[in-house]
Amino acid sequence: MFDILDTGASGLMAQRVRLDTIAGNIANINTTRDQAGKPNPYRRRFVVLAPGRADNPALPGVHVQTVGIDQSPFIRRYEPGNPDADKEGYVSYPNIDLSIEYVNALEASRAYEANVTMMDTAKSMFNSALRLLA
Amino acid sequence: MFLDRLMNQGSAPLLEQWLQFTESRQRLLAEDVANISTPHFAQKDLSLAQFQSLLRDRVNERDSSPPDTVSFDDISMDVQHPRQAMLFHDGSTRSMEQLMTDQAKNALMHQMAVELLRDQYSVMEMALKERVG
Repeated sequence: MFDILDTGASGLMAQRVRLDTIAGNIANINTTRDQAGKPNPYRRRFVVLAPGRADNPALPGVHVQTVGIDQSPFIRRYEPGNPDADKEGYVSYPNIDLSIEYVNALEASRAYEANVTMMDTAKSMFNSALRLLA
Repeated sequence: MFLDRLMNQGSAPLLEQWLQFTESRQRLLAEDVANISTPHFAQKDLSLAQFQSLLRDRVNERDSSPPDTVSFDDISMDVQHPRQAMLFHDGSTRSMEQLMTDQAKNALMHQMAVELLRDQYSVMEMALKERVG
């Protein structure tokens, strides 16, 4: 019965990493420069999940296999006065669509709640089974 | 020996099997929920109808056999991959609503089996003490 809690916990961790990644995307939605301050727009990150635990894929659960970098083209906006504009006056902005990020965040949040519910149910089942011995 | 016979009569062995079934099913449902966002993940479940049918057959067999010849311990089931109507582009058949409903029903069935088993044990305890209450 205890491994249901471990399975739920793996789901919680995976969804939390997913939410962290989405938060990072939203925070960097207008970031046009890299850490060194050079014009290099932020690329959208996404989480790739795989079944099984991170330490032992044979055990039931889920884990973050990798955090991928979205290679889709940047969004170009005509802003000739912007210091990051190219010769034609276009500025490249991160390839992040706010609507997609919101929907993904909502889905991750619901999945997180579902895992919590699952763990709660497992706990109450375990408690009721314990009452057999009491 | 006497206690073994006492425990293996009536509905106690059925209820024990029932508890094991609901625990195993909860484990699979938890795995399904954990993998709700995993691409290409095929959901796993145990068939309630199949389990009930197996249990029913075993009870019928016990009723028509001499005492202590039919055991319930060897009932085993295969994990199934249920196919819901909705199929996602990655081949996954995830359905959060179905999973949440199944886990709630499964928990209630577990609770019911525990209560019934508890009642049986208290009756046995009463008989052993030779007094009511």
